[in-house]
Amino acid sequence: MTDPNTDVIQGTLDMLILKTVSLEPMHGFGIARRVEQISRGVFKMNPGSLLTALQRLERAGWLDAEWRQTENSRRAKFYTLTRAGKKQLENETADWTRRASAIARLLKAEA
Amino acid sequence: MSLWRQLTYGLRSLARRSKRNQDVADEVEQYFEEATAAWVARGLSAEEARRAARLEGGNMSVVRERARSYGWENAIEAFCGDLRFAGRQLLKHPAFTLTATFTLALGIGANTAIFTAVQSILLAPLPYQSPDRLTVLNTHFADIGRTSPRVTGPDAADVRGQMTDLEAVSLYSGGQLGVELHDHAVYTMLTFVDADFWRVFNLQPVAGRLFTDADAHRAALVSEQFARDNFGGAQAAVGQILRVENEPIEIAGVLPAAFDFPARTQVWEARPLLPESKSRTAFNYKAVGRLRPGVSFQTAQTELDAVSRRLQIAYPAENRNKQILAVPLQKALTGNARPTLLLLWATVGFILLIACVNVTHLQLVRSMERQREIAIRKALGSSLLQVMQPVILESLLVSLLGAVAGVMLAYPAIRLLVAMAPKELPRSSEIHLNGWVLAFTLGLGVLTALVSSMLPALRAAKVDPAEALKHDASRGMTRRGAARLRDGLVISEVAATFVLAVGAGLLLHTMMTLASRDMGYQTRRLLVVDADAPAHTEQDAHRAVEQFNRVFAQLAAVPGVERVAGIMGLPTGDYGSNGYYQTKGGLPVPPGHNPSSVFSVASPGYFQTLGIPIQRGRDFNAQDTYESPFTAVISESLARQSFGTIDPLGKQIQCGLDSDKWMTVVGVVGDVRQDSPADAPGPALYMPMAQHPFYANQIHVVLRTSVKPLTLMNGVKEKIAQVNPFIALRFTTMDEMMNESMAVERFRAVLISSFAGVGLLLAMLGVYGTMAYSVAQQTFEIGIRIAFGAEKGVILRTVLQHAAKLACCGIAAGLVLSLIFARMVASMLVGVRPMDPVSLGLASSLLLLTALAAALAPGWKAMRIEPMAALRAE
Repeated sequence: MTDPNTDVIQGTLDMLILKTVSLEPMHGFGIARRVEQISRGVFKMNPGSLLTALQRLERAGWLDAEWRQTENSRRAKFYTLTRAGKKQLENETADWTRRASAIARLLKAEA
Repeated sequence: MSLWRQLTYGLRSLARRSKRNQDVADEVEQYFEEATAAWVARGLSAEEARRAARLEGGNMSVVRERARSYGWENAIEAFCGDLRFAGRQLLKHPAFTLTATFTLALGIGANTAIFTAVQSILLAPLPYQSPDRLTVLNTHFADIGRTSPRVTGPDAADVRGQMTDLEAVSLYSGGQLGVELHDHAVYTMLTFVDADFWRVFNLQPVAGRLFTDADAHRAALVSEQFARDNFGGAQAAVGQILRVENEPIEIAGVLPAAFDFPARTQVWEARPLLPESKSRTAFNYKAVGRLRPGVSFQTAQTELDAVSRRLQIAYPAENRNKQILAVPLQKALTGNARPTLLLLWATVGFILLIACVNVTHLQLVRSMERQREIAIRKALGSSLLQVMQPVILESLLVSLLGAVAGVMLAYPAIRLLVAMAPKELPRSSEIHLNGWVLAFTLGLGVLTALVSSMLPALRAAKVDPAEALKHDASRGMTRRGAARLRDGLVISEVAATFVLAVGAGLLLHTMMTLASRDMGYQTRRLLVVDADAPAHTEQDAHRAVEQFNRVFAQLAAVPGVERVAGIMGLPTGDYGSNGYYQTKGGLPVPPGHNPSSVFSVASPGYFQTLGIPIQRGRDFNAQDTYESPFTAVISESLARQSFGTIDPLGKQIQCGLDSDKWMTVVGVVGDVRQDSPADAPGPALYMPMAQHPFYANQIHVVLRTSVKPLTLMNGVKEKIAQVNPFIALRFTTMDEMMNESMAVERFRAVLISSFAGVGLLLAMLGVYGTMAYSVAQQTFEIGIRIAFGAEKGVILRTVLQHAAKLACCGIAAGLVLSLIFARMVASMLVGVRPMDPVSLGLASSLLLLTALAAALAPGWKAMRIEPMAALRAE
């Protein structure tokens, strides 16, 4: 008996983070929880990958980061989508949609 | 944009390392707290929630490490860590570090110093505007295959008129001359130039104006330095009057201090564009030109060849074999220094090679000691690169240390070099350390690191853990290959040093030959006064001769002066002339082979003053006046060349110095070496000053003294000023002039010898290192031999024999190398053959002795090994 695979599909981590942050400014765990909730547990994020990815996106200029208080008054690093990040998200989304529908078509194809 | 963020974020986190670490740690901790809180919210106890969070997210410290290791700056961090480790390793082995650094500092320092000279002289562009377009015109004689750096006036004027590839051509001449200021005269480097000179060099004055063709013989430009020294400033100098050769010259403008072409000129006097010399056989001028933009030297030469051909047809008698060449100015200026500089460069290259071999050797010894460590690391799974990296890093660190120390050594070395440089070395004032040199040194440092760590690193990579762990050096079980490698290094080191020593031996032998040569006259206690009496007209010239005669009489009375005379054409002096002559009553001359000779103009008593023996006939005397029949004295060689066994006295001789009157030979004197001790004694024709006044106003007054010559300087100056204050004077001694005439040879010999000395020191270090190491390794074995009763003398002999064997192999290899390199110095040798047995023998014995001396200490140590201590040691 094996656990179902909850890994994020390769190459989509950035897009998922950007999309999640585009809803509202969020800290690391917030992002992970939101992805898990919305995907209904299909995707779970590994904190190591997530935090590294956040640094990468911040350096790429797609996210801004700021230390703020959380609702339970704990200091946390909140990420916001930048204008360049928004653009990047649009690009990645378009790209993903194109590819996903291609795969869907392929899988639906009948002999 | 994102690259910029990458860079700034990386730099920021590098600069504030702890803050970044804290941030990452905080973020990770907050993540896990929130995760735990989320589990608690779902109803788990605090303890269970923490476990669940860990189960889901993994170990907190692993996450932290992963997040922290993101970013390029971490690679730098890791590298710095390795570097720190290498640094600590070096600190732990101070003897190794110091020896290696010092060795490399010597090698790199010597290279930096010489490269500085090479770069400043040969490579750096000349400090003129678009210097790559500047050219010098030479005359090539196709029949004898010789090239003269000079041109005739009419030829150069035709080139200027006919060439379209040359933007401007300027003719110049001149030299050290007396320039009269308001109340005295100074010796100055003065050049007569035409108005095109400024166009060639594209110059603008810092004060006043440039002169035009209409200013010929009336205006001059002076250097800023000259203006400051004599008038207090550039503006103050403009409009002042100088007198040159008794002509009044107005200073029209002042040139920037940086410009001093040619040969440190301080005053440029205007001469007409149309050359005053109309002869196509009198090479009275040098010429510089500027190529049009975009024109190559090759194209210009093609056009110049066409001009030369037209001139050959138009003037078949004079121009038949003449071809005019356009030579880049830089090449013309620095061409002569090139072989010396390249020789020096090759020499320091050898030094660096020896230094590298030494460091390789030191590294090798160190890495052999580390073999067990390396083997263990390999056995634990270190990659090839990981095993080699510490060796290379250490090497790099040592090399950089060596480079820094080398630059610090080079700095004083360069100043010494410039101070020692003969005045023939062009652009020596421009020699300085600069960015190019530092880049070269840095490159050299990295290169030496790579070269010297190559072998040790490869050996480290080849270590087979199972094999290496079985070996134990301290038990006398070493692999033969290792010893052979070290022996090979020592042999190559000895060979390289041998080549240096032979080179030094040859050049020193040359120096000694020159210094001990009989010049044909006595050089000791001879005061030489360069005296330039202003003269423009014939009357001026006669008055100058008459004044000089009074000067001689006055000076003869000065206490301390034994004899005094005047001469135009003093051996090793600045002035002089030479050319063809013919005789009546001498040997027949084959057509087209006119005999030539040095021409000198002397006062009565000159031969006695200099100590040149009068072999036959008489000296000049007061009866040889301008009105009386012309007389001449010839040298022994000239007598042999043109008269053979015929008695030359009373025969007639004629030369083209200034008049074509026939002269009667009244005396024969001994030969002298005219230009330098390297010169062969040759034909010389002496004429009396009174009969050749145009060549008698710029002379050397020579005084044979009974005291130190220069102590008489002030007295002599006073006496001459009493006769005529406008005679420009400069003082020196014959010994000094001799010294100067050998300056190039000495420069070479001293430098190469010092380098050979450094090489010897390094080779000694190398031999010592090898022997000391092998003795230390064989302590156990030697201990057993002594325990079994081996004679102590035998032990010592084994060590010395080993060293001698290495030295002999090195010397043999060096001999072969010397055969190749001796050709390089062949042209710099005088009286010594490139395969001089004395130099070879000396170098061989020197190296053998050095090797034995270096092996003595380790041998001594081997002899004193206590068997019991050696066997118990471990």
